Amino acid sequence: MITDARVPAIQAENLTVSYGPRPALLDVSVAIEPGTLVGVIGPNGSGKSTLVKAILGFVKRDFGTVKIFGQPVEEALGRLAYVPQRGAVDWDYPVTVEEVAMMGRYGRIPWWGSPSADDRRAVAEALDIVRMGEFRARQIGQLSGGQQQRVFMARALAQGADILLLDEPFAGVDAATERALLEVLRQARAAGRTLVVVHHDLATAAETFDRLLLLKQRLYGYGPPEAVLQEDLLSEVYEGRLRVFGTLKKGEKR
Amino acid sequence: MTALLPQVVSETFFQKALLGGSLVAVVCGVVGCLVVVRRMAFLGDALSHAMIAGVGAGYLFMKLVFGREAHAPAMLLGSLIAAAHTVGMIAFVSRVSRLKEDTVIGIMYCGVFAAGVVLVSVFRDRIHIDIVHFIMGDVLGVTDADLWIAALVGASVLSVLVLFFRAFQFASFDPVAARAAGIPVAAVDFALTLCVSLVVVSAVSMVGVILVVGLLITPAATAYLLSDRLDRMMALAALFGVTSVAGGLALALALDSAGGGAIMLFCTAQFLAVLALAPRYGLLAGWRRRRRMIPQPLFEDILGSVLRGPQPVPPAAVASHVHADRSRFARALATMKADGLLRESAEGLALTEEGLAQARRLQRAHRLWETYLARAGVPPAELHAKAHQLEHVHEEEAVDYIDDLLGHPEKDPHGAQIPEDFVHLEGGQPVPASFLREGRGATVVSAPAGSGLAAGDRIVMAPRRDGGRTWVAAREGGGEVLLDHDAADAVRVRPDPPRA
Repeated sequence: MITDARVPAIQAENLTVSYGPRPALLDVSVAIEPGTLVGVIGPNGSGKSTLVKAILGFVKRDFGTVKIFGQPVEEALGRLAYVPQRGAVDWDYPVTVEEVAMMGRYGRIPWWGSPSADDRRAVAEALDIVRMGEFRARQIGQLSGGQQQRVFMARALAQGADILLLDEPFAGVDAATERALLEVLRQARAAGRTLVVVHHDLATAAETFDRLLLLKQRLYGYGPPEAVLQEDLLSEVYEGRLRVFGTLKKGEKR
Repeated sequence: MTALLPQVVSETFFQKALLGGSLVAVVCGVVGCLVVVRRMAFLGDALSHAMIAGVGAGYLFMKLVFGREAHAPAMLLGSLIAAAHTVGMIAFVSRVSRLKEDTVIGIMYCGVFAAGVVLVSVFRDRIHIDIVHFIMGDVLGVTDADLWIAALVGASVLSVLVLFFRAFQFASFDPVAARAAGIPVAAVDFALTLCVSLVVVSAVSMVGVILVVGLLITPAATAYLLSDRLDRMMALAALFGVTSVAGGLALALALDSAGGGAIMLFCTAQFLAVLALAPRYGLLAGWRRRRRMIPQPLFEDILGSVLRGPQPVPPAAVASHVHADRSRFARALATMKADGLLRESAEGLALTEEGLAQARRLQRAHRLWETYLARAGVPPAELHAKAHQLEHVHEEEAVDYIDDLLGHPEKDPHGAQIPEDFVHLEGGQPVPASFLREGRGATVVSAPAGSGLAAGDRIVMAPRRDGGRTWVAAREGGGEVLLDHDAADAVRVRPDPPRA
């Protein structure tokens, strides 16, 4: 793990991605420091998920570069882990909890080999961290929403990636699960990992993240929550569809 | 008939059919699992239909250029090229048009198939392909060349799938994460399409264009109903493929029918049998699960019935109040005792503390609903029955909404006391003063200016006035404060414990 804090964990420069004439991302440049917990916020359709996929190189970039610890992203794959949106997963897929977690190790297992004792240990540890060890043999469709989210967290942890990208991990989980997940995220950050989390709930953004990235196609702000959650910025991005500025400020003081 | 069977079984053509069919079915089953989990079933259809154009073109090319008749490798290569073109055109047209992919697949494979039919019939004097054979297949006429192709294709496709199983699994399950973990997802997808094409091409000569997609997905779908792991699903699908071929050939002999049709008929019957009987995902299992499941309203009716009578109440008295057969009633009681809602002694059933709280919540919901229905103009005679249905809508937020809407009533239309909102009152958090009933003491936490109350005031509620529309708070140290509904909602108080 590179600990040199001068090299950004993720450096995106002039990132532009389009589906048709409308850009999904327009000229986004941002440098994310290692060991930070970053929340990506913005209205629906603002390109939050696209940003994550563009960082992974999963959507085609029209222009721009992404560097992971100074390397082009194509050479750094495997140092990144991804946790999908719950809605994007086929929950009927014939796969067990343990197998999903093991997928995190697939990048390191040579194609002619089988999972080693190390791989199995890493998977068991990751499942224990998210407290899903006792469900290892379950098919993933037989879990509750919060448990499902934890399994994917375990996969990211088992991968041992330096950077975790999570797409709406808190969507549709209850408050207790949200706290437990957040605890896991904070442990990962304490271990020096960088976490980029797509987040829809502005009300909890300030207390959850070290840095916020406010996005609507363009980058409107990146920095500490109090610097990004400015009324003028938010009203520009949300076009007056947001009438909770008062409560947000209360949230900041908490 | 019985004398005929063993004799036919020893015939070479039958053994070749069994061997060739099984080879093809095993590979189809294994590849089909990935097709099913990736939802690409239509692709198999598209590829098989595209084949005739490829076979025709390959045949014609070798005939015209090298003068060779029915050159199998050229026809195979032609099929693959035609398949690749079909897939490419499907991707291209769905990208550039507003049509959805399923429509585009339908258009393209019919178009390519038609092109093949026209090609073969225009050059019918040079191309000696039997279109009917092509469409229907001829498993009983399997040639040595077919066998070799099936064996070669089967061995290579299976090797690829087994060696790169993890990549196929990860890329089909979660392509973005697979990419992040360093798996070349685009290459894996291409390899899968190639494998499907190869398998389809090798299977067409056995079962024909129309049935090949069935051989690809039906055994896999059958296995899907029985397994929770992809590797086991593949093994089972291979097995079901072989049983389909063996069973189908036996059926074909018994009925003296076309081989391909009999194989698919057997395969489909096998699927339907598993669909009915599968232990977890089968219809019978689902039906039994639903039957065993005790509906929530039954639990709630039992709670309500025990609450109303003097406790302990004999189980038979409760049973006469609720609609359930005896075994279901007994199971419901057992579940409730295990969940700590009910206690049973020699004298009968009684509510535990937890059961009492639940029963009071339900009673509160029931009486609030009755009040609501009476206001909505439901005739008194129908009130109870309708409220009995609606009391099962007792989510806390919904009940709070009704309570507020009705102005926090104290009595229901029959004059019975509506239980107070003890969930909030005993929750330890400040509540609106409007939740307080007569005689309850409280400390004001916050109150709007001009309400006559201030934070820190001690109050005791006096009886409400104006038919319940005005709350009266008697301040300790003298003085009454009158509050209407909105004002009483705006005053936040910390209630004292209920008087014993």
